[in-house]
Amino acid sequence: MLANILKGAAAAAALAITAAAPARATDLQFYFPVAVGGGAAEVIQSLTDEYMAANPEVKIDAVYAGTYQDTITKVITAARGGNAPQLSVALAVDMFTLIDEGLILPFDDFITSEEDRAWLDSFYPAFMENSQTGGKTYGIPFQRSTPVLYWNKEAFAEAGLDPEAPPATWDEMVEMGKTLTKRDANGNVTQWGVRIPTSGFPYWLFQGLSTQNDVILANADGNKTNFDDPAVVEALEYLVSLSTEHAVMEPGIVEWGATPKAFFEGQAAMMWTTTGNLTNVRANAPFDFGVAMLPANKRRGAPTGGGNFYLFDGSSDEELAAAVDFIKWITGPEQSAKWTMATGYVAPRPATWETDTMKAYAADFPAVLVARDQLEHAVAELSTYENQRITQIFNDALAAAITGTKPADEALAEAQAQADAILAAYR
Amino acid sequence: MTGFDRILMTTGAVVLALIWVLPLAYAVWTAFHPSEYEARFVLGAPLTLENFVKAWNAAPFARYFLNTFILVTGIVVCQFVLCTLAAYGFARYRFPGRDILFSLVLLQLLVMPDILIVENYRTIGALGLVDTIAAIALPYVASGFGVFLIRQTFMTVPRELDEAARIEGAGPLTILWRVYVPLAKPIYLAYGLVSVSHHWNNFLWPLIVTNSVETRPVTVGLSIFSTTDSGVEWSVINAATLMTSGPLLIAFLLFQRQFVQSFMRAGIK
Repeated sequence: MLANILKGAAAAAALAITAAAPARATDLQFYFPVAVGGGAAEVIQSLTDEYMAANPEVKIDAVYAGTYQDTITKVITAARGGNAPQLSVALAVDMFTLIDEGLILPFDDFITSEEDRAWLDSFYPAFMENSQTGGKTYGIPFQRSTPVLYWNKEAFAEAGLDPEAPPATWDEMVEMGKTLTKRDANGNVTQWGVRIPTSGFPYWLFQGLSTQNDVILANADGNKTNFDDPAVVEALEYLVSLSTEHAVMEPGIVEWGATPKAFFEGQAAMMWTTTGNLTNVRANAPFDFGVAMLPANKRRGAPTGGGNFYLFDGSSDEELAAAVDFIKWITGPEQSAKWTMATGYVAPRPATWETDTMKAYAADFPAVLVARDQLEHAVAELSTYENQRITQIFNDALAAAITGTKPADEALAEAQAQADAILAAYR
Repeated sequence: MTGFDRILMTTGAVVLALIWVLPLAYAVWTAFHPSEYEARFVLGAPLTLENFVKAWNAAPFARYFLNTFILVTGIVVCQFVLCTLAAYGFARYRFPGRDILFSLVLLQLLVMPDILIVENYRTIGALGLVDTIAAIALPYVASGFGVFLIRQTFMTVPRELDEAARIEGAGPLTILWRVYVPLAKPIYLAYGLVSVSHHWNNFLWPLIVTNSVETRPVTVGLSIFSTTDSGVEWSVINAATLMTSGPLLIAFLLFQRQFVQSFMRAGIK
């Protein structure tokens, strides 16, 4: 440990020396959140350093800003205090909030050449749905994810199911779940069939179900929700029935953070969670596992998730142009491949998947391709004006139905009425 | 007190103590065992310090600890000086507007610090102090709670002591230093404890107002373990939690008797 303290001191000294180097022409500040393990912050720092080595006239100060929630608080506070960073990564769904606050600029203003235009068009359309509004692009996809289904092949084989065939439909998931749910002599469940976490932000995984039931939760302008649509009600009833009628999922609110652990320990044979977990599952699952697209009902479907780059108002055009150049570089195929492999996020441009690095990685670990292939069925994550309040209302309604305090239709009708009252001002 | 009452009280106290200590016990268990034993409590589970090494290496904690130490010491010293002087004024001097000023101080107790974040940031920005340890401390040094608490204590000091000191030829500051402060010692201890633990644990404001390793406190280092997207590694996060709250826990255990006594005495008055 002493060695580490010394190392830390040496690093601090090195930092002091770099800081004393002659000032560079352009100083940029870049906030980033961290939501996955595995040294994400170090990867960002090393990519930033690499860019600065190649572009000596630009200095980028990469600032760790906590969770997504902390980052948005920090960035809004700094911007209101007249000290906005030039660029920041924040949740894609915060786009409308940031526009509403008048804090961000569209990238279109800095797109001049044909080549730039091509770059802007080179992202997967599913990711751009959350990044564009009113014909302008406000976000550049960076750390994006989507939920997938992980299944325990050993548990499947043990239950007499084909270990290579995950459920493809809702009905199959229930049927397989029944086969996979194991009880001990006292009737206590030792292994649940499936686990769909519902704590914290249940709307995200639920949006998988609603999309599969062929309904969109909010319009593209972010000012109208469809919470009381019969198809949404039906999707919520299906989710509730998994633990009530079919008894294949743990009843009540299912913890998000404990989900991978429950999967590793064999408490659940299938789990729905983000691809951001892929590296974690690969390193820690003590059994052979598979990754599949979420099962379909009327169609396949999943939301996207994660963070975009935003460009903040309040700096000179030269600084912002330099920021755009950096974003262009870091979303480039090689850099993006490095980021994807370190974290498990889905590389947001087809070009990344064409690199030799990614091809070799996917050949060795084909599971990473599932999320990419699911993108053609994916839709924008629920995002509206006053996003935090609207998702909170929706989360509360979901929780009420899941815990059984209200029937699904009643909870959703109330949520829709509350959302209407808030969003009426934006229509 | 009858024997039955005593048994009831003791059992109640033990049960409460157990409930209170359970999370801490769990943190200690997971921190010292490999992650396979997070939910399996086997006596023979192998002990390890690996989680602490992992946690220590995940962020520049040595620097963070130094920053936190400077921060809390600075805050408590400033609070003691400012609050003592203000409390003395409010307790023993009559001047126009005293009551209005004092109610303004009390009003500060009612305002949640979180809603002032943007205004505070603006002020700090105007002073050019963003990303300094002073910026984290400044909004807290003039504490309404501290002024109120110490003023109430000073009010209970008998006037006779004050007058006797004056007859001996002591000036106002000497009286404050020789008479009031010594009599309020238990209050200073209690207030110091609350203040240190509050600022040791403060997270949001330091995160917002600082950007670099050189200024950030341990709580910011702790936050990188809250990796919501990829599931939580309890063993490492608990090792980090124990490590960051360790100095406070140790200090409390060492000075436990003094702390408890100071609270008791403060309560009796």
